[in-house]
Amino acid sequence: MRVVVAEDLFLLRDGLVRLLEAHEFEIAAAVADAPGLLQALVEERPDVAIVDVRLPPTFTDDGLRMALEARRAVPGLPVLVLSQYVEQLYARELLADRAGGVGYLLKDRVFNDDQFVDAVRTVAAGGTVMDSEVVAKLLGRRSREEPLARLSAREREVLGLMAEGRSNSAIAQRLFVTDKAVSKHSTSIFTKLDLAPSDDDNRRVLAVLTYLNG
Amino acid sequence: MSVRMQDLVLPILAVGAVAAVIRVWRGRAAKTPPGRLRGLAWCAALLAISVSVLSALYPLFARNNLQWWALLIPLAAAIVLVARPRPAERAVPVVLILYGLFGFMVARDYVGGGINTYGLTMVGNPDVEADFVLPQAYVFLLLGSWLYWSAEGTSARVRHVLGRLSDLQPRGQLLALMLLPAVVVAAAFATPDLWLGADAGVGWTLLLLAGTVVVLRKWPEFAARAATAGIVGLGLMGLALAAWAEGGGFDFARTPYGGILYGAVLVSTWHTADAAGVEGLALLALGVWLAPQTFPQVRRWLGMAPDAELLGRVQRLTESRAVAVDTASADLRRLERDLHDGAQARLVALGMNLRAAERLILTSPDAAIALVAEARETSARALTELRELVRGVLPPVLADRGLADAVRALALDCPLTVSTEIDLPGRLPAPIETACYFAVAEVLTNAAKHSGARDAQVWMSHAGGMLRIEVTDFGLGGADPACGSGLAGVEKRLATFDGILVVSSPIGGPTMIVMEVPCALSSRRISSC
Repeated sequence: MRVVVAEDLFLLRDGLVRLLEAHEFEIAAAVADAPGLLQALVEERPDVAIVDVRLPPTFTDDGLRMALEARRAVPGLPVLVLSQYVEQLYARELLADRAGGVGYLLKDRVFNDDQFVDAVRTVAAGGTVMDSEVVAKLLGRRSREEPLARLSAREREVLGLMAEGRSNSAIAQRLFVTDKAVSKHSTSIFTKLDLAPSDDDNRRVLAVLTYLNG
Repeated sequence: MSVRMQDLVLPILAVGAVAAVIRVWRGRAAKTPPGRLRGLAWCAALLAISVSVLSALYPLFARNNLQWWALLIPLAAAIVLVARPRPAERAVPVVLILYGLFGFMVARDYVGGGINTYGLTMVGNPDVEADFVLPQAYVFLLLGSWLYWSAEGTSARVRHVLGRLSDLQPRGQLLALMLLPAVVVAAAFATPDLWLGADAGVGWTLLLLAGTVVVLRKWPEFAARAATAGIVGLGLMGLALAAWAEGGGFDFARTPYGGILYGAVLVSTWHTADAAGVEGLALLALGVWLAPQTFPQVRRWLGMAPDAELLGRVQRLTESRAVAVDTASADLRRLERDLHDGAQARLVALGMNLRAAERLILTSPDAAIALVAEARETSARALTELRELVRGVLPPVLADRGLADAVRALALDCPLTVSTEIDLPGRLPAPIETACYFAVAEVLTNAAKHSGARDAQVWMSHAGGMLRIEVTDFGLGGADPACGSGLAGVEKRLATFDGILVVSSPIGGPTMIVMEVPCALSSRRISSC
């Protein structure tokens, strides 16, 4: 799997590259600024890009804006955005095109390399991975709004874990239930959110989007 | 060869003076050039006074009459100065004042024929003496008062008897004290009997001076104004008097003392009328100079005074600047403490854990693994804390995108359902963005905590050089900035930028908080992704 890494701080870029290489990713390019990122995305056509929100030249949200621009040009281009902080506003902007293949995580999540690598793979496969901090904030306030109000507490919990990008078996492990129970919950969620039967992955993405976009 | 005692006068005085100069030069108080100069001035003053006082009783300058023991007085003065300079500093003004008062008595010939000289004047010629004695008396009196006033060490004691006068600034006190000479001159002009008459005048004189002192103690501001007005009036009168006298319309012989006492001058001839004219001009100039300092109206007429609006603005700016500085330093202290107790402490723990793991890694790998896992957790917690800190200092979205998106992000993070309507086609100055962001944050936090509302609205727009923010919640109402909510703090912080905050919160709601801050919108567009 070919990856483009965009991170301006050498220590972190180097660490990410080593971590990914250790998990048998191929580093197509490791760049330090936004223009470099765009060039790498166009020339290398990677399977997934890992992008820091704050990049030169302006050191504001160049990385995020570049990722959004690239996804406008190539819809569904898998991008995992990393940041020192997570903002719901940025999460919404990333999810707005409803195309999936997008992730938004705190940089700290790199500490748990297995989970991080899973997230990279989920995004590359077109899934949606949101940081648990974003999900936790939403859990509190969106629950009483339609159509999420229709969900039971357990179903909301399952949906939240889906939004974090976890697979059914990971969710089952986390909630101490069987895989079968989780798939039952998810079918119920899809029905309650009026998501027509299609392939399961796409429905997962749409359910998560419904959840995140309120 | 016989040496006359008189010939020793100058050598002895010179020795005393040199000794005094050395003493003053090496004294503790004389570290600085102005201090040395002052010491020298005191020294000279004491010698001059002792010579003057002495010559009043014995004609020191008429060489043939010199008595040898008369030298003891300047000698004693020099010794006092050398041995005890500080008491000398206190004695000199008192002696000067007494000598000045003595001048008035010499002028009215109260003391009789025993007086030979006063200051620089030989007393004896009845036509001339008052002309020269009175100016000197005024000079000695004022000089003595001024020295007494400015002398260190005496001021505390003086202040004790000053009454309300001591509330004033030194300059204001000086202005008020002008009343004393003004009253003396005016009274002498009106009724010369007070100074030049027989014994009957003394009682009235003392009464007048006592009354003046009471006014000075109780109504010092009024005293300053009265003194200024009096000095201007006296100046005009002096000019009129000179014009009248020189016009020939005045018969001096018919006045009780052969002339009119005008300040330091007894106007009795053409020449003294000239002197009165000069004095009147000087008094007028002094009055004109004093007027803007004592009368605010004059300051305004002359355009020297800032108007009330400007003064109010200065007051507000002073207050808001104090708030800004206090807030800034309190924020820095909080930041330092949070870093010290949080992230720094965790990094120390991290280092210690890693060192312990390093030691254990070969001998007991399991324990080392546990320590490393703990270290990782610690670093994650440190990161979380740093993130919170940064958010409190400068929220990332505000730094990245500006106020509009930062408030949108705030609305998303708020536990209430907040709808936003924001029309800001550019960026605002960074300090205003930060202040307004935290203002909206505080208002929304308040609404979430106290209003009981589920929904709120934020409306924000910039027009005509004014940023206007309206935050409305549909809760219980009854919010009052005076009741210790964060609103008062927000109001103060906005005031730093001349901003205002208005609360409308009837019982039963809704609560609407309007903030307005004058500011320019930069044309730099923010990208909206």
